[in-house]
Amino acid sequence: MRVLLVEDDPTIGNAVRDHAASQGHAVDWATTIAQADAFSDVVDSDLILLDLQLPDGSGVAFLKRLRGRRNMTPVIVLTARDQISDRIEGLNAGADDYLVKPFDLGELAARIHAVARRYGQRTTPIIQLGDVEVEPAERRLTGPHGAIDLSGREWAVLDCLLRHPGTIVPKSRIEDALYALGSEVQSNTVEVYVSRLRKKLGSSHVVTVRGLGYRMDVA
Amino acid sequence: MSASFSMTRRLMIWLTLGTALFWLLSAGLGAMVMREEFDEVFDSALEETTQRLMSLLIDQQFQSTAVSGADPVEVSPPGAKREYLTYQLRDQTGRVLLHSHDAPSEPFQVPLRQGYFDDEDHRTYTVAALNDTLFLQVADPLDHRREAMLEGARTLVLPILGLIPASVLVIWLILSKALRPISLLQDEISQRGGGNLRPLGLDEMPQELAGISTSVDTLLLRLGAALQAERDFAAHSAHELRTPIAGALAQTQRLLAELPSGHLQARACQIEASLKAITRLSEKLLQLARADAGIGAAETPVDLVPALRLVVDEFVRLGGQNARLKLELPPGTRLIQAVDIDAFAIALRNLIENALRHGPQNEAVVVRVEGPNGVAVINCGPVVSDAITAGWTTRFKRGATSSPGSGLGLSIVSQLASTMGAKLVFQSPAPDRSDGLRVAIEWPG
Repeated sequence: MRVLLVEDDPTIGNAVRDHAASQGHAVDWATTIAQADAFSDVVDSDLILLDLQLPDGSGVAFLKRLRGRRNMTPVIVLTARDQISDRIEGLNAGADDYLVKPFDLGELAARIHAVARRYGQRTTPIIQLGDVEVEPAERRLTGPHGAIDLSGREWAVLDCLLRHPGTIVPKSRIEDALYALGSEVQSNTVEVYVSRLRKKLGSSHVVTVRGLGYRMDVA
Repeated sequence: MSASFSMTRRLMIWLTLGTALFWLLSAGLGAMVMREEFDEVFDSALEETTQRLMSLLIDQQFQSTAVSGADPVEVSPPGAKREYLTYQLRDQTGRVLLHSHDAPSEPFQVPLRQGYFDDEDHRTYTVAALNDTLFLQVADPLDHRREAMLEGARTLVLPILGLIPASVLVIWLILSKALRPISLLQDEISQRGGGNLRPLGLDEMPQELAGISTSVDTLLLRLGAALQAERDFAAHSAHELRTPIAGALAQTQRLLAELPSGHLQARACQIEASLKAITRLSEKLLQLARADAGIGAAETPVDLVPALRLVVDEFVRLGGQNARLKLELPPGTRLIQAVDIDAFAIALRNLIENALRHGPQNEAVVVRVEGPNGVAVINCGPVVSDAITAGWTTRFKRGATSSPGSGLGLSIVSQLASTMGAKLVFQSPAPDRSDGLRVAIEWPG
């Protein structure tokens, strides 16, 4: 997933970014509301992790503006404001979930998967791709001969395709999911990772739709 | 402590008594003046009667032969009734020559001297004639005068007695009107409390109360500012404290993820555990600071059920042992109280944490909304005596348990329950069970 992290504290932001990246998510990190606005204008994020107290304004105001523009990107609020009234205010403003600092990074990962599952309309946490079983929440892939290892970028591509099963995902969108992982994306990068996925999952699940993108066929 | 009293009632009683007393004093003075006047009238009549009667008796004396007899003559006209005035005609030796039919034949115990003489029962007027050889003494009974005096006084007093109830009503009406500003001030002050510290805003108070009203407003403003400062401090402290802890914890967890297995990872695990312990303790201290800052009461009643659902949901989503938590909320139940929802949530969180931590593992913990005035958290476990539960609300005092905890949870709940206008109730065994514990926040119904 492409995640927009809005957090002004470098220590927390740094750890959350690295943890999300280790989970295969591409993270854009904004430290101010202005940067977050700029990111949301040009990048189509799959999830926003939003702090509420930022140097140039309130995260709630940013969230309300976002929803006012009919941008329904899922938002998880990460905040030190622990009162139930803050939580109600955040949820009423359009947040999908609310995590109070200090939080466990494992708990954050679980919340991200839960929100992603809800928005990706996955009714089950386990997805069957032929002989292969995918558990996105646990980032576990099991084939007929046991566990299959995927790199972070391979997960990013697989997750991007799995969130839109049966529909064409443009190549540019997959590139977006890879861009923020920190390295340059060459013109054939997506093809390289799709090819690696086909080798590990079986060639029939990821279908190339020439000139448009890729489609994941889920059994 | 002396019992409280009603100022209006006290004023009514004393004003009525005072007014009645003055009326009675006035009536008494009137009666005294009236008696003087009565005495003058009676004396005048007595004197006149004596003088007229004397001339008549002298005429009769010279015409009658009976007077030369030894015995006094009783003048008894036919059909005579009981007379008010009695008289005796006496010679200079004191012998009674003639007397009226109600007068005794024995001489009056009155000296033969012109003028008035009073004894216990009569006022007697003596007039002399024929060179002080004849004396006529006419006695007027004092009973007669006293009766006239009493009737006159009664006429003065009886209307006063009748007027007392009317005066009570008038005094009550006057007092109600005059004391209305006090009632208004009383009503406004009684509405102030933890949830309402707005100034009274009573502009048109009488001079006697304007100073009080202004002082109360000043006090409320200062109190409100002090409490707000304390709450802001607690809220800012929460943010300032949580953020670095969150950073340290997140970085430690990343370190754990990136370190290879071994002693360095074990050390990182210890740091993580310490940071989590600091998190829990700071959480409790911040909650305690908020409770001490007086959060709890609110001006407007709110339904606490949505907040209750959120709190229960927080726990259930964490999974593990928290999945034991069950919410019993009959459909349509509402918990409407004039309570700060943050205070309520803190109290409920602590009750749930305690029940999950100290109740037996794998046994359900129930959060039950018990009608509109109470919420209870019920867990299984051994029966606990009242003597033990009584000590649980003391700060930093922990029960006989090896489970982790700060010893602050129930003291926070107790403090918050008090500011929320509720009671913290312990009941063991729990209702309909032979074991377990029910801890409830109950509002007066």
